[in-house]
Amino acid sequence: MNLTNLLRQVSLRHIKYQKAQTLLALAGISLGVAAIVSIAIVNKSVLRSFEESFQNATGRAALQVTGAQSGFPEEILDKVRSVAGVEYAVPVVETDGLLAAGKERSIMILGVDVLTDGQIRSYSLAQENADIPDPLLFLARPDSILITRAMAEREGIVIDQKIRVETVLGTRTFRVRGILNPEGPAKVMGGNLAVMDIYAAQMAFGKEGRIDRVDISLMKGEELEAVRGRIRAAIPQGYTVETPAGRTRQIEGMLSKFQTGLNLISIFAIVVGMYLIYNAVSISIVQRRKEIGILRALGVTRGEIMRLFLAETLVISIVASLLGVAIGILFAGSIVGVLGKIVSIWYARTAVTGISVSWLHPVTGIACGIAASLAAAIFPVLAGSRISPISAIRSAPWSEEGFFTGKRLNRAALFFILLAASVYALYRFAGFSPLLRSSGFLFSSQIFFLLGLSLVTPAFLRGFLTLFHRLLAYRLGSTGMLAGLNLGKNINRNAVAVAAIFFGISVFVNSAGFVYSIKSSVTIWLDAVVRADIIVSDGHPSSSTNAQTIPMPVDIWRDIEKVPGVRSADPWRKLYMDYKGKRVLLSSVDMVRRGEYSHFMVVQGREQELRRLLPNKDNVVVSEPFAEQFGVKPGDFITIPTPSGPVRCGVVAVVVDYLYDSGTICMDINTFQRHWGDRLADHFSVRVKPGEDISRVKDAIQRQLGTDRKLYVLPVREFKEEIRKAMDQTFVFNYALSIITMTIAGFGIIITLLASVLERTREIGILRSIGMLRWQVSAVVLLESLLMGTAGGILGCVAGILTGRLTLEGARYSSAVEYFIPAGTIVWALFMAAGLAAVAGIYPAHRAAKTNVVEALTYE
Amino acid sequence: MNRKQLLTRQESRLNLPAAISTPPPPRQEGGRFFNVASLCKIVWKASVLFLTVILSAVTGHAMSGREVYEKVHEVRSKMLDRKTEVTMVLFDKGGGKRSRTLSEYCKRSVPEGYKVLVLFRSPPDLKDVGFLIHARTFAERDLWVYFPEYKRVRRIPTTSQDDSFFGSDFSYDDFGGPPNLDDYRFSIIKEEVLDGRPCYKVEVTPKVRRKYTRYIAWVAKELWVQLKIDYYQDKELYRTGAFKDIKVVDTIPTPFSLNVENRKTGHRTELTIESIRYHTNFTDELFTQRSLERSGR
Repeated sequence: MNLTNLLRQVSLRHIKYQKAQTLLALAGISLGVAAIVSIAIVNKSVLRSFEESFQNATGRAALQVTGAQSGFPEEILDKVRSVAGVEYAVPVVETDGLLAAGKERSIMILGVDVLTDGQIRSYSLAQENADIPDPLLFLARPDSILITRAMAEREGIVIDQKIRVETVLGTRTFRVRGILNPEGPAKVMGGNLAVMDIYAAQMAFGKEGRIDRVDISLMKGEELEAVRGRIRAAIPQGYTVETPAGRTRQIEGMLSKFQTGLNLISIFAIVVGMYLIYNAVSISIVQRRKEIGILRALGVTRGEIMRLFLAETLVISIVASLLGVAIGILFAGSIVGVLGKIVSIWYARTAVTGISVSWLHPVTGIACGIAASLAAAIFPVLAGSRISPISAIRSAPWSEEGFFTGKRLNRAALFFILLAASVYALYRFAGFSPLLRSSGFLFSSQIFFLLGLSLVTPAFLRGFLTLFHRLLAYRLGSTGMLAGLNLGKNINRNAVAVAAIFFGISVFVNSAGFVYSIKSSVTIWLDAVVRADIIVSDGHPSSSTNAQTIPMPVDIWRDIEKVPGVRSADPWRKLYMDYKGKRVLLSSVDMVRRGEYSHFMVVQGREQELRRLLPNKDNVVVSEPFAEQFGVKPGDFITIPTPSGPVRCGVVAVVVDYLYDSGTICMDINTFQRHWGDRLADHFSVRVKPGEDISRVKDAIQRQLGTDRKLYVLPVREFKEEIRKAMDQTFVFNYALSIITMTIAGFGIIITLLASVLERTREIGILRSIGMLRWQVSAVVLLESLLMGTAGGILGCVAGILTGRLTLEGARYSSAVEYFIPAGTIVWALFMAAGLAAVAGIYPAHRAAKTNVVEALTYE
Repeated sequence: MNRKQLLTRQESRLNLPAAISTPPPPRQEGGRFFNVASLCKIVWKASVLFLTVILSAVTGHAMSGREVYEKVHEVRSKMLDRKTEVTMVLFDKGGGKRSRTLSEYCKRSVPEGYKVLVLFRSPPDLKDVGFLIHARTFAERDLWVYFPEYKRVRRIPTTSQDDSFFGSDFSYDDFGGPPNLDDYRFSIIKEEVLDGRPCYKVEVTPKVRRKYTRYIAWVAKELWVQLKIDYYQDKELYRTGAFKDIKVVDTIPTPFSLNVENRKTGHRTELTIESIRYHTNFTDELFTQRSLERSGR
């Protein structure tokens, strides 16, 4: 009999009878594949949006010169223009603004020399390319602004209309002099872009004489690297001369940890799906052992039996993977905006307008689905093929042939746990080997550990049931005794369902522990560092880390101090800069004023040394990720690029700082102003006089200073609450993927219980015929389910705590993040495991209770 | 070929006495100063030319397109020393209209260049905005713009000659002097009467492909000014220009009303000369960046 015939005659019939089981296995793999595909798509889409933005915003620029975020003197432009091989060099001022009407949408404002910019970017003020009724007026008036057609349509703005925009210098009114068609830069940020003439932008945003970037095109035939070298030689140190693609790579590097984290979580989902396939195939083999015996007796070889079951799995996995790809694409479309928002809040501003699907996504999804299914099926299939024909025909209905059992299982468990330990040891002692020190490598140790632990599940379940019999079963009467016995009878099969629950719960607890630890560590740090009473900022409270802040003139602190009830106010300024090719955060505070009430959490170095941070001393403290990344310790010197040239700074201490996970340098604001020539602040920390009512002072600040600019004046408690909310938003994907894994685990329980009920049809019939009531049958099945859920939950919580620590270590969010056991989540996870299992048991219980006694007794 | 060469060529062709009186170059071979064959040739050429002049006087000379434009070129060259007060009205396709007044100062500079200073007088938003053009030749020029709000003189990079002049329907070419005739091919399509004036309808084709691939122009006979120009992009009519209200000022025929329409966008610009003065002989100091910043003062 060939394989096609076997599939048609044997497998199809089985699938027809076991529709629910097949569908659930299919759903499990589909969800796993969907998770992988959707995460891959959204990750790609976010990067693509950055890439497109850069491409559109940079036009035909081959190189870009950037300095610190605060900009640099215009004279640099002349130096670049004089370099041999430079065809055109055009200046750019890039800043953010908030529309003061509607949804207060954040926009990117590009200040370009419109007279020369057409040489680099593909737009012009010609009537054919844009709707600008009077280009001369646009150039002549400093309040002129051009907006994109997309923005005009979305916000209902028309030409000649005045719009109010929050800027560095407060709320400014601009007049829309034209609409840009969606081409070139007008496509950047999903159209959330406005263009101004460079001199108008400089005036409006307090950047007179300064530019943020120079975009350069090269003369024909010039070597890019040669020109880059000449430009580097022509301008002072501290400037970055990068290709637009290099800037995309920088963003890619910045997001890599976050995106890797998401990818790893999605892999968990497919691993849970593997449990489901393992479970389904094992049960299928057990249920069809007589069939296997007959086929073997008829001359079908072991190899053919193996191929038959693998072919079944292949067919199911192909269908499931295709379905998973479709669900994944749909899912990606609905979550891509959320991810874009998270990236915008914490990393860099982007507007992801749609998903970017390549042929690689479905191919990867399908390959993962098929590979995972076949890998999960291979062991039960191997075991099934070894069933001897006579044993198969004679065996009892609850025979466990088809599962790996006994010593072999324990040996495999030990192997995987030892493998996990070895991988972890390698990771720990690998120094800075990029491959071994990667989060992906550490993740593999987690997977091995979980695999090892899941192979221990039968032993654990046996122990758990023993405890149950001793402590609880007799109290529950015959229902408890029967449930315990039933579970004990098919320990290996039930262990697979327990393992699925265990895996789901471990992912959930792992994720929750990771999130909880970060939140707790950040909260402790915030409490230590943010000790003022009120925070005054010009953007959302999460602006402490994001790229959407609109800075304010630093001297506002003097106005704040004039408000009755204010004891003191001090500024904080942050900007991103390139340090040795990596983007790091430069944070500056008034050390004298801040030192009176707030302090650093010093990890390396002495607190007394912090005095060296005082104004006009070129000393800094650095965060732990910075110290680790660049191999810096107290007493070392680092050379920081500044607009006035490189500055050698002494490192006073290494401190805890969660502002930016790629690393932070902190210095006194006066020192910063001296080197950067920047007189702006991102927020002000305000202390209130003793006995003063904080909310009254807050209102007074808002009243006195909030007239010409939109101010966020928040009591510190609310400020911290907003930061917590923003963090919660960031971890929404962790929560979502936990739910997916739990759902897949729930399918596993349903499959196991349905199989169990089906096999015990005759037994249930006997119990019913001797007087057992329908509800009692239901109760037994439900209790079995509950017990499996609880066992899986307990093991999952333990595994989740252990792997959570590894995840935190691997994420290297910051080495200072301490692991906190998420006690509340663990209790919730236990209830959830038991509850989910109970819910999953409802249908099998209902089906068991409906069993017809006469039919059941004749069931074979 | 520059304008001086061109004029020399015209002289050598049209100025008969000059052509006859020009002595032939001495022969090198044989060391003889006087050559009979050469003399015969000169006499023959002179006879042919003489006959041609006589015949054209009797029958009316059929001009070539190039010759028509040489005449136009001559008239436009005469216009180069001038001061003009202009009203410019821009009409958009929706019927919206914006007016502005401007003063234009123009000076011929050697050998065939010119300098132009344009200063906006109104509306208030554009008051004292100015442009300065230093043209070495028709194609080679430097352009600066001044915006009083920023107190900055900005250089406008070399632009396409056909680019729109800041939202108007005029191009940079429409300001300043006449183009180099050698860059174009001319052919008379026919003779026609336009606005009651007999005209040559001439097809002008740039030798190097430009935004407008060809023009059809109506040149008024005797006045040698263009009354109408249709600008084509391949076969599509892109822009039209109409020159009306022609008055002779200081012997120079001058159109006082110009109307240019962009057929693609429906945008139209009307330019009316309020006053014009020729032979102004402005000093070079008027055409400096400093003067641009000071609004011509």
